[in-house]
Amino acid sequence: MTLTLRPGEPPPARRKGAPERGGAVPLMENVRVTGSDLDQRRVLDKARGRMVIAALLFLGLYGVLAAKLTWSTVVHPLLPSAAQIAAMQPQLDMTPPPPSRADITDRNGTILAVSLPGAELYADPQQVPDPEAAAQLLANAMPGINVADTALKLGAGVPVSKRKEFVYLNRKLTPQEELAVNSLGIPGVYFENKEERHYPDGDLASHILGGVRVDGTGLAGVEQYFNQRLTSNPQPLVLSIDAGIQSIVHDELAAAVKEFQSPGGCAIVMNAHTGEILAMSSLPDYDVNGYGNASRDSQFNRCVTGTYEPGSVFKLQTVAMALDAGAVHYWDYFDTTHPLRIGHFYITDFEPAKTWMAIPEILNVSSNIGASRIAAILGPQIEQAWYAKQGLLRPSDVQLPGPPMPQFHPLNHWGLATTLTVSFGAGIAISPLQLVTATLPIVNGGVRYPATLLKIDPNNPPQGVRVMQQSTSDLMRKMMTNVVLFGTGKNAQVPGYIVGGKTGTAQVVGPNGGYLKHTNNASFMAAFPMEDPQYVVYVLVLQPKPDATTYGFTTGGYIAAPAVSRIIARIGPMLGILPDTGDQLAQLQQQLTVPLNPTAPPGARALGPGNPLPPGANAFAYELLGEKPPQPPAMPHAQANDNLAPEPSASRSTHVRHDGIMAPVSPMMGSHMTARDGGNDGQA
Amino acid sequence: MILDDSLALRRPFRERSFGVVRKLGRVNWLFVLCVCLLAGVGYAALYSAAGGSAEPYAQSQIIRFCGMLVMMLGIAMVDIRLLAKLSWPAYGLGIALLLVVMLAGHTGLGAKRWIDLGPIEIQPSELMKLFLAMALADYFKRATPEQTGNPLYVLPMALAVLIPVGLILKEPNLGTAVITATIGATVMLGAGVRWWWFAIIVAIVAISAPVIYHHLHAYQKARIDIFLNPGADPLGAGYNIIQSKIALGSGGFFGQGYLHGTQNQLNFLPEKQTDFVFTIIAEEFGYLGSLAVLGLLFGIVALALHTALTCGHTYGRLLALGIGTNFFLYCFVNLSMVMGLIPVGGVPIPLISYGGSALTAVMLGFGVLQSIHVHRDVTFASPDDL
Repeated sequence: MTLTLRPGEPPPARRKGAPERGGAVPLMENVRVTGSDLDQRRVLDKARGRMVIAALLFLGLYGVLAAKLTWSTVVHPLLPSAAQIAAMQPQLDMTPPPPSRADITDRNGTILAVSLPGAELYADPQQVPDPEAAAQLLANAMPGINVADTALKLGAGVPVSKRKEFVYLNRKLTPQEELAVNSLGIPGVYFENKEERHYPDGDLASHILGGVRVDGTGLAGVEQYFNQRLTSNPQPLVLSIDAGIQSIVHDELAAAVKEFQSPGGCAIVMNAHTGEILAMSSLPDYDVNGYGNASRDSQFNRCVTGTYEPGSVFKLQTVAMALDAGAVHYWDYFDTTHPLRIGHFYITDFEPAKTWMAIPEILNVSSNIGASRIAAILGPQIEQAWYAKQGLLRPSDVQLPGPPMPQFHPLNHWGLATTLTVSFGAGIAISPLQLVTATLPIVNGGVRYPATLLKIDPNNPPQGVRVMQQSTSDLMRKMMTNVVLFGTGKNAQVPGYIVGGKTGTAQVVGPNGGYLKHTNNASFMAAFPMEDPQYVVYVLVLQPKPDATTYGFTTGGYIAAPAVSRIIARIGPMLGILPDTGDQLAQLQQQLTVPLNPTAPPGARALGPGNPLPPGANAFAYELLGEKPPQPPAMPHAQANDNLAPEPSASRSTHVRHDGIMAPVSPMMGSHMTARDGGNDGQA
Repeated sequence: MILDDSLALRRPFRERSFGVVRKLGRVNWLFVLCVCLLAGVGYAALYSAAGGSAEPYAQSQIIRFCGMLVMMLGIAMVDIRLLAKLSWPAYGLGIALLLVVMLAGHTGLGAKRWIDLGPIEIQPSELMKLFLAMALADYFKRATPEQTGNPLYVLPMALAVLIPVGLILKEPNLGTAVITATIGATVMLGAGVRWWWFAIIVAIVAISAPVIYHHLHAYQKARIDIFLNPGADPLGAGYNIIQSKIALGSGGFFGQGYLHGTQNQLNFLPEKQTDFVFTIIAEEFGYLGSLAVLGLLFGIVALALHTALTCGHTYGRLLALGIGTNFFLYCFVNLSMVMGLIPVGGVPIPLISYGGSALTAVMLGFGVLQSIHVHRDVTFASPDDL
């Protein structure tokens, strides 16, 4: 069944509808149509039909898919469960995470330091397209940002590849600034969450709180001392400080410092029965929020880190130790008729008396000679033992970093001069806080409590250490009341309160090791109410300049006592101690004083002219008595021949110079020292 | 001189003087464009699946695709008559690979399916579908209607289908086995085998389905159970289907926006870059986007069927039909699975899903398809060609 085209017939020119090929004839080879070809064609046709069916089937199935898709997405979408929708919400947890550093509060829960979430701004300068423009925008958003500095940090004018990859632009962003910078949308500028330490009261209790580094680590004060505690325990650290009292103390001290053009000062209020520090202010101070920006002079804590000669305030210690040792009695009289000459210097009184004085009057007029006489009877061993148990020969154990070692003459080299001068607070330098701590037993019945900055649980009062008899403390209270009522401390009187205290006027050691002329540190140590002393208040004004109100004096009684008076008047009611009035007050005053010229009780023989020394008096006392009457300094050559106060250890001149070392004020010498000294030298 | 731009009719196989440039000109570039578009869709989906990153899926997948595209065009240049001669050797190779994988295959996800060849992993069952279509097309390329109506003539080919299907079932891979059988049936139907024979077979299978179900693997049973009642165990075996449906539903009409699909970005769907990649498109581009992809998929199938219809020789027609059917079944099974129309079967969506094995098989098939398209006018008439 093979059909073959007859040869000779022209081949079909072209398919129907094929384009004209310009006369060319397609070359056909093997042009045959066979039966199998026809079979093929049939098969092909059948296959074509089935393929069309397949195509339609596929299309239909796709239609099913499309219909199902329509159903699943538009008509009847299966929506996520509520839990899934919740999981899709961005996690905007508005409760901030617990701060990594605990708050610090005062004893009443007032926040003194708190950690709040903040932000730091940093940049990758390589990603910042236009540093100058970016710096301008950033400066607009953050007041206080320097445009030129920021542009420089962002690599202005530097090829992109040579720029840094990380710079801090602002490490303390306020929330407003963060929002503003964020809305700028500058590429390459990023935020980093951080915790910001805030001190809401600024400079309140600045030296107690100290401060933190930018990274939040404690840098000074309790922030440094309790760094471990603050980062490990989220409970607030409760201090013994009372913010209200701290504020008052700070204000009154600042007023005094300003009035007397003082380069600095210190004031402390301490609970007499627990050792808790209610207020402690050192001036000049600083805003705790900017510890790093404060000057070193401001950062210096004069209450704890500074050591000063306490001056006459120390006579309280001398008298207490003498009474407590039983060596003397308050009715004993001492020869204060003439200065004491030791080597080539003299111990004199501010207002020389020409009489013998009993102990109450020695305190009242603050007689250096009287105190020296008493100290000579006691001798250096009793003195040192007393100072040791009062904690005055070692650093304070208060919870602040690095309390310094008090400065004093080596203990085994206390000669006559040291023994005497220490009795009135010269030749030993201690921190004001130690001085206040050592005053507590004198007024509270004889029990010593360590100074503390932590609030003490009233139900768990501290166990103090008895350092003197109750009777000694009772007597001391009366004599301190005398000082305020009748003596040098009259300016510390507070209407309605019975205040007791002691003035202190210490000479200041200049840069050359000698005392400066006309330059004092004025202080006043007080306790109130004297019927049952609850608080001890101490104010120290460094190198005050006299004014009209002080009649030209720069003594503690004129400079510091008024400040103490104002402090007590303001804090007394706050502490729940109400003023007494009228008869009650007079009656209390009557009970709380001793006669200035007491007489010995029957059967006892008081010290006095003809009986100057008690039995068992120290050898130094006899040395003093073996003296000739003091010679006026007009005959200096005579001094060389005087064979007095033989010192076992060193020549007289070196000894005296040794005694003169006292009171380099601090390891970090305050700038006021040199500045003031220069002025004084010029005047001299 | 031959001025016709066709590859001259009835030109003998020996004379391979058709230039590569002319052959390239005859490639169906619309088809290539559709394939590239689909690969682009895949890149976007995989980029999103990685949470907005080219690593680890999109980058390697597109590199693999580019290699496969070159391979596809290379195969398209090979004369279809040479490929026809290789049909049965390829079939033999496919069976051998299935045996190898059965004896020493790479175990993946509890089933032995892969052969590891260093850079590319090959899943022989994927290749087998192409090789089976080639073998069947070769067998039936000269069959007369009388022959295709003769059961004895057709029976060997029924065996040729059942052997690989049995091996694939043994792997076990139910989805691919069913697809392979369907491809075989489609090619045989296209060749002219009586349609009611298949109707009988389908009926027998339907009747014996409970028995088959009884012999299925536990996880295969579980998939069928879940399909019938997806809510029964939403956090267990039904989890994928439910999450997949939720992804479709949360996309809505316009989608949640690229890279903003919550089901996708929050990883509710495990391993979504492979079988469930379509949910990403549905969720992030919505109904419109999915419909467009659906259209693209059908466009490719339609172009493959167009090649089949325009091909001048039976071998090409049947093979093109088989290749088109293969691609269609990939898409249909995957999409039905994603939409919850049929049980989950582990069938990826070619050119979009992450993975090399399906891509290799599909692109190999597309290469052959384009060879058919390029050589649609050649003849198998010459004795030299046989």
